[in-house]
Amino acid sequence: MQKFLSRYYFVFTAITIAAFCIAFVIPFLAGIYLSFTNFTTVTNASWVGLENYVKAFTTNADFLNALWFTVKFAVVSIISINIISFALALLLTNNYRGTNAFRTVFFMPNLIGGIVLGYIWQLIINGILLHVAGVDLTYSAKYGFWGLVVLTNWQMVGYMMIIYIAGIQNISPDLIEAAEIDGASPRQILFNIKIPQVMPSVTICVFLTLANSFKLFDQNLALTNGAPNRETAMLALDIYNTFYGRMGYEGVGQAKAVIFFILVAAIAFIQLAITRKKEIEN
Amino acid sequence: MKKILLALIPLLVFGLIACSKSSKNQKTVYLLNFKPEVADVYNKIAKAYEAETGVRLRVATAASGTYEQTFKAEAAKSNPPTIFQINGPRGWANAKDYTADLKNTELYSHLSDKSLAISVNGNVYGIPYTIEGYGIIYNDAIVQKYFALPNRATRFNSMDDVNSFAELKALVEDMQRHKNDLGIKGVFAATSLQPGEDWRWQTHLANVPMFYEFRDNNVDLSQPVDKVTFKYSQNFKQIFDLYLNNSTTDPKLLGSKQVSDSMAEFALGEAAMVQNGNWAWSQINGISGNVVKAEDIKFLPIYIGVNGENKQGLCIGTENYFSINSQVSPEDQQLAADFLLWLFSSPTGKKFVTNDLGFITPFDTFSDDEKPTDPLAREVIAWMAKPNIYSVSWVFVVFPSQVFKNDFGAALLSYAQGQKTWDQVKSVFVTEWAVEAAHADQATAAK
Amino acid sequence: MNEKKKDLAFFVGMALLSIICLAPIAIVLINSFKGQFFISSSPFSLPDAKTFAGLSNYLGGVGKIGFWKAFGYSCFITVFSVCAIVLLTSMTAWMITRVKSKLSKGLYYAFVFSMIVPFQMVMFTMSKIANMLNIDNPIGIILIYVGFGSGLSIFLFSGFIKSIPVDIEEAAMIDGCSPIRIFFSVIFPILKPISITVAILNTMWIWNDYLLPNLVIGSNYRTIPIAIQYLQGGYGSRDMGALMAMLILAIIPVIILYLVCQKYIIKGVMSGAVKG
Repeated sequence: MQKFLSRYYFVFTAITIAAFCIAFVIPFLAGIYLSFTNFTTVTNASWVGLENYVKAFTTNADFLNALWFTVKFAVVSIISINIISFALALLLTNNYRGTNAFRTVFFMPNLIGGIVLGYIWQLIINGILLHVAGVDLTYSAKYGFWGLVVLTNWQMVGYMMIIYIAGIQNISPDLIEAAEIDGASPRQILFNIKIPQVMPSVTICVFLTLANSFKLFDQNLALTNGAPNRETAMLALDIYNTFYGRMGYEGVGQAKAVIFFILVAAIAFIQLAITRKKEIEN
Repeated sequence: MKKILLALIPLLVFGLIACSKSSKNQKTVYLLNFKPEVADVYNKIAKAYEAETGVRLRVATAASGTYEQTFKAEAAKSNPPTIFQINGPRGWANAKDYTADLKNTELYSHLSDKSLAISVNGNVYGIPYTIEGYGIIYNDAIVQKYFALPNRATRFNSMDDVNSFAELKALVEDMQRHKNDLGIKGVFAATSLQPGEDWRWQTHLANVPMFYEFRDNNVDLSQPVDKVTFKYSQNFKQIFDLYLNNSTTDPKLLGSKQVSDSMAEFALGEAAMVQNGNWAWSQINGISGNVVKAEDIKFLPIYIGVNGENKQGLCIGTENYFSINSQVSPEDQQLAADFLLWLFSSPTGKKFVTNDLGFITPFDTFSDDEKPTDPLAREVIAWMAKPNIYSVSWVFVVFPSQVFKNDFGAALLSYAQGQKTWDQVKSVFVTEWAVEAAHADQATAAK
Repeated sequence: MNEKKKDLAFFVGMALLSIICLAPIAIVLINSFKGQFFISSSPFSLPDAKTFAGLSNYLGGVGKIGFWKAFGYSCFITVFSVCAIVLLTSMTAWMITRVKSKLSKGLYYAFVFSMIVPFQMVMFTMSKIANMLNIDNPIGIILIYVGFGSGLSIFLFSGFIKSIPVDIEEAAMIDGCSPIRIFFSVIFPILKPISITVAILNTMWIWNDYLLPNLVIGSNYRTIPIAIQYLQGGYGSRDMGALMAMLILAIIPVIILYLVCQKYIIKGVMSGAVKG
């Protein structure tokens, strides 16, 4: 079988591999190389060693600010999104009427693109701030921060809810029935059976929200674009601004991108390690 | 399945047409446009040019505040713009790898004042194509209404009596007190400070104090200026405060206000004054419900309280120079030069320039009756012709970078919202100038 | 009786939540019928005689950003990229799962690795390479999407293929079918559920993608997200009315698609997420 197939190996894989090299492998390797050089177009690079990495932190405080803002944002949105979506999932797995329709509604915002979402919420948050405080989103970074949190919650709660629903539905009904016969309260069932049983879903959701919060770009660009004074720029936006903001800083932008990549990769490997450990335990 | 496939066919055709259109080996001029407000006009020009000469004109327009980024991205491509724009010596320094020498082009020979061009060591790298002026635009009908008020506190009888900041302030503050009598929401239209919409303050208004600072110090503006003191920052503050405090809009809300909001307030008669330039006519005129009559639109210089300012005129200059990309083939460079010549000398081109673009051009191909006829352009021409009045030249072309302007604009917004003191704003201006000038010098030197 | 009350309370509570959830879209819809200068100052009021603008925002906005063209590009790129991804990556995944070699293993890990690399890491070099190879057009970008989308898709397909018993393929081989025939008449039909998942996840990504198309083809061909972002500052100043109208037009196709295939979408997300 193997031999039979391997004659056709490249018939089946050549185009994908070529596309993968063009879109990913070559740009990725070139990106790492270029982060150690000065360049304006890819062809005129000159080696500068670690200078770009030093500059990423020393030119101004933007990168560290963005990093800190992103971390704070990730923590707050991971907690809020997961709590809200788990609560919704619990409610929608009780056999009440209309649960399917509600699932449909709550999931919908997830399909709307980041740019569109950003402008929708810009209108609404500015409107609310105008009525309540007589200011707007540019007044303080705090508004931009909470605006982004609300926006991502609105977008991602439905998605996470679906994953939790799948998790809850996988719990065997016998388990819950047995507990009910033993006289367990709904509260005990929730904490002693449901939550431990959906832990795999929790891991998935936490890391999905973490990865999404870290890579957030479109929403950030459309909602605040960093205002006021680049204080609400997250990592992805800061890297973009460094690249295209002014002449001569492409190398620094690329260096920031490499640091960003290492961060995201580290998160992914921690996830992998945890999942592996869990699988072994089970 | 078959149905789905059938539905895909039109899509495929659409895509093929879209792609083949651009890959055809047609003669093409690619113009990177700096002025978003005339993007639609360029599309019309492209049609006319292709009809007349068969050469395709492709126009890409950078969103406001992103010209440097767009130029950088486009210039690095395999089909870079053949015509682009630089905004002065600083802009030329950024783009000097791409600017061809234009001294032998026919268009240059038509430039009435050769000193306006950007020339270095006898070579010409940028040809200015429009002279613009800005100041405080006012609605004369409202001002006359004020002069007719019986209980007003000032003694001016016409705007000719207002020749200094002190007089302007007295007028504006008294008009603001009578805003209900005058039927306006405030004297000045909103001081738009949304990021990307703040150029009227971080660039244009800042030009006036910097003009005087450079004049005091005899600064050579053909060279990069690495350090400033913002000597007249108090003067900037007092005119800026005047705008903020006598406005239609609460200063706290300015962060989401745009230039179009301000122009709409002016056009709808809700504000009596607005700082802007002659390019704003199309915006005022284009707003539905516009109540301002063309003959009521007038210009007043931006007085900031400097000695001798009673002889000051409007801010006149240009940040619009066309350059031709030296890195494209000689044929493409020639096509580019041909297009520019066509635009500024052929009857069709000139009609677009005068009527649609509304440019006051510095070329001798335009006769007096081919000057734009909109009221603001006429005012600019009239102010330039006034005896004993000096114009404030556009020194903001030496401002170090877009980042500098954006940072200063953000600081102005924080100041308007009461979150930064004026001293902090001033220090942003001075330190950011030095930092950005160093960046720009470094980037230029690296090339 | 108590059950019924609970049922009602649940229903009312959820209905309220649903309204909150849909309110932002409703507010944008309302504002899309107001004149552009009445939007930011009072976004929550209904249009009245003075502020009602009819369809002018829609007509103006469509012309301003070339909406139908953008819609065409978005459709073209999304449909053909997704088709190409499903077809090409399922073929690749089958090969690298069935032919056990060092190359297959290496490829698999490379594809999986690409999933964790943030786009910013490759955005500059990739758009530059796309330009040098002259694939910076709506057809060429399909190749880029295949390359960039292959990570997740191959991961999902491989996981599924591992669970298919090899016996069927071996039987077909003994019957004298070529690998191409085996793939298309035996394997591909079995892959249908996971193909739908892959198609849905990629559609959601590509249709809404902003930065990649903007960097690669943005100056010549605007997809819907690019056109909307351009409205922000591209015409000297933002026209709030047109922006609202275009947001609605951008949402409508998404909602229609969702209502038509919601069963598949929700299922696809479930199986995609559980494996991702």
